[in-house]
Amino acid sequence: MSAARQRRPVVLLRPVPGTSVIHELWAGTKLITVFVISLLLAFYPGWFAIGLMAALVVLVIRLAHIPRGVLPSVPRWLWILLLLGAVTATLGGGEPVLHLWAVDLEIGGLLKFLRFTLLSIVLLGLGALVSWTTNVADVAPAVVTLGRPLRPLRIPVDDWAVALALSLRAFPMLLDEFRLLYASRRLRPRPVLPDGRARRRRWATELVDLLAAGITVALRRADEMGDAITARGGTGQISAAPSRPKRADWVALSILAALSALAIVVEVRGLL
Amino acid sequence: MAQAAVMGSLSAALTIVSVVVPFAGGLSLLVAVPMGLLAYRYRLRVLLASAFAASTVAFLIAGISGFMVVLNCAYVGGVTGIIKRRGRGTPTVIAVSAVAGFLNGVWIVAALMVLVRLRTLTFDAMTANVDGLVTAMSQFEPLRQSAQDARALFGTALQYWPVLIMGYSIFTIMVVSVVGWWALSRVLERLRGIPDVHKLEIPGESGPVAPVPARLREVRFRYPGAARDALQPLSLTVEPGQHVAITGANGSGKTTLMLLLCGRQPTSGSIERPGAVGLGQVDGTAVVMQHPESQVLGSRVADDVVWGLPPGTRTDVGGLLGEVGLAGMEERETGGLSGGELQRLAVASALARRPSMLIADEITSMVDQQGREALLGVLSGLTQRHRMALVHITHYDNEARTADRAVNLSESRDNMVMVSHATPPTASTHPAPRSSAPVLELSGVGYEYASRTPWAKTALRDVSFTVNEGEGVLIHGGNGSGKSTLAWIMAGLTSPTSGSCLVGGRPADDRVGDVAIAFQAARLQLLRSRVDLEVASAAGFSPQDTGRVIAALSTVGLDASLAGRRIDQLSGGQMRRVVIAGLLARWPQALILDEPLAGLDAASQHGLLRLLTDLRLNNGLTVIVISHDFAGLEELCPRTLHLDRGLLASAPAEAGEMP
Repeated sequence: MSAARQRRPVVLLRPVPGTSVIHELWAGTKLITVFVISLLLAFYPGWFAIGLMAALVVLVIRLAHIPRGVLPSVPRWLWILLLLGAVTATLGGGEPVLHLWAVDLEIGGLLKFLRFTLLSIVLLGLGALVSWTTNVADVAPAVVTLGRPLRPLRIPVDDWAVALALSLRAFPMLLDEFRLLYASRRLRPRPVLPDGRARRRRWATELVDLLAAGITVALRRADEMGDAITARGGTGQISAAPSRPKRADWVALSILAALSALAIVVEVRGLL
Repeated sequence: MAQAAVMGSLSAALTIVSVVVPFAGGLSLLVAVPMGLLAYRYRLRVLLASAFAASTVAFLIAGISGFMVVLNCAYVGGVTGIIKRRGRGTPTVIAVSAVAGFLNGVWIVAALMVLVRLRTLTFDAMTANVDGLVTAMSQFEPLRQSAQDARALFGTALQYWPVLIMGYSIFTIMVVSVVGWWALSRVLERLRGIPDVHKLEIPGESGPVAPVPARLREVRFRYPGAARDALQPLSLTVEPGQHVAITGANGSGKTTLMLLLCGRQPTSGSIERPGAVGLGQVDGTAVVMQHPESQVLGSRVADDVVWGLPPGTRTDVGGLLGEVGLAGMEERETGGLSGGELQRLAVASALARRPSMLIADEITSMVDQQGREALLGVLSGLTQRHRMALVHITHYDNEARTADRAVNLSESRDNMVMVSHATPPTASTHPAPRSSAPVLELSGVGYEYASRTPWAKTALRDVSFTVNEGEGVLIHGGNGSGKSTLAWIMAGLTSPTSGSCLVGGRPADDRVGDVAIAFQAARLQLLRSRVDLEVASAAGFSPQDTGRVIAALSTVGLDASLAGRRIDQLSGGQMRRVVIAGLLARWPQALILDEPLAGLDAASQHGLLRLLTDLRLNNGLTVIVISHDFAGLEELCPRTLHLDRGLLASAPAEAGEMP
């Protein structure tokens, strides 16, 4: 009954069940891809580059067998906001002009709005693809391998990777604890307060209390994890399996390089 | 390191909440606080590692925007934290944050200077929107002039964009810094006085690793600043291959003994070992501790076994997992394991170091009955299969039976804790009046997590039962049986995906607070800093109303002198009682307790059960206990419901009671 109306929740840090070519790729490849494409689009956010990368994203989604259900429900206000943006942008007019039957429609503004929106969607989609297809356990080892060139610069890549691995491990536990904190707040009666000033002060104390409770819990968790690390004699290995690119990764990276080069050439030369 | 990681995780979590949840954007201001705390307590490199971890996690979940928020907050938090550590005040924060805002502005302007096309596109899209709005407004005569003015203003503003961005950057950085500073100061004040529970430390030692045989002679230990000895004089020898059990109540020094065996220096007496302790090293000492989740450090089972070993070590992961009964689970994610499985995994990780001595510190206390038996099975054979000594610390006397030798620390002191002050049971003499009024009515309740996504997982299916006033019901089930979900639904915190849950005839989710729930993690339910404030806030009366606070505390058998005590100075059992006091002061229709006995020692368990039984029988309180254990609950909860993989199966003995 209520199931039909229920909104789809956001599921965090869990890959889509099943496997595919994309799931099998090395996590480092995916990180490089996202990095390169973000950089490319930041420098050359033209129609061609955005379109090309959007096509790539769609293709990868198909390859990874990602069903529609992964998308969380888009709240209505966001749709309204988008529609409002589109309408005002259309009213803004500008070149080029679209001849539609007897009406001349200036769609320059709309086109710019669309380009900007599409750019945001492609960037969001890229990030989402990584989390939909990558097991979190694979990320930190990939960072170690990717960060190897930085080691001579005295950047403590290994420490960072350990911190990353541990925070990914601790993240779901903290989320659970937040859920509990929120629930116990909901269980309490709301105090009735006379004036705005008292309400504001109340709000401030409440905030500090929640924050202190959250931080205390996090600190305790951190202490216990610290003990566990000490009990294991400090940090060292973080993964049992080796983490390095395979042949499929080189193929994927070559495709990425070719597409990027194409996009840059087209954008710089002003072709199309 | 762990601090960096967990704080990073905390920041990331806050960021994600602020980015994903609409209208929670203000939360991102607070991300600076954990970062500031790190900068205050530790060196800069810890902050950097944490910022890296947090930004990566945020990026994986919320994309570029999350990444930027974390970086900004790490920047601000770092600055405020360092100022705090130097002991400077608010004026410094304002001055420094202005400079920091300027630097940040320079950086953004420079970036936008380089990214010409992105800048043009963004500005063009904004211009189009403004133009459209102006055109629309110009249709109405009275608005035309102001609309034209606005367009002109916007055009001018765009021309001077570097100035605008600079101003904006300085303004936001200053605001975030000041808010962050204020919150950080308040939080630090609150955290002062929390005992540093950081226990283990790497002993400063050298030479060959050889922890056994360890000979303790008249060893005594007192924590710095404490008034009493944590461990009274003790003599003990741990021989190679020996299985020693250490028992005793809370506070008898079990954990202190563990620390001494791990290399801490005793206050008096001597510990002789042939070589170094070698904590976590090959042939050294390995420790497994109480909390299952925090023991396991890898996200995947196989990764956890090798976690922390020196690079290049070869480990027979499959063999080790087979030994602890987790064969074939290498690729499983550790997040989905039960408490018992996690602890067995921790034992496997300890065994990967081929230790000469393994210390198991209360590893079964947070684990359900089945898990406990499996764990004990693993432990009991260890000394036969490996050349190592096993020291098993436990507060369950029956767990000591498989040991070669048992040492009871409680015997060495006249322990008052073990004596129960409660009056003898009055159960049979005062049977509660069984009124027919139903408090909770569940019919066909089902729940599915993440429904309509690929991750959908059914937690409950078609659960129907009724709880009447004054009843005591135990909902029993193993890990993953959906019992906690059921508790949340009954408390109205979660809405069932199918069926209905009625409290006094109305849907439970409309009446949050009518059914009280005490979570297993009591600390998370105590939001205020002091006991009296906490009870007053939970019950909804003024903290000045001392009489009601004291009355509430006395309901749960706590002394009035505790009212002024700080929450973090309470013991586990006291925390649970304070939670219950706050909940009961609102006269809830029913009280749900999720694993009320977990993590308490025998004396506190007994006392809490006594109290709850008394409240139910004499005050007519409806009690629902959610637990994986039966032990000792018969009197409190005469009726038992079994939950198995989301389905309800009524126990044969109570079948007649089901409606």
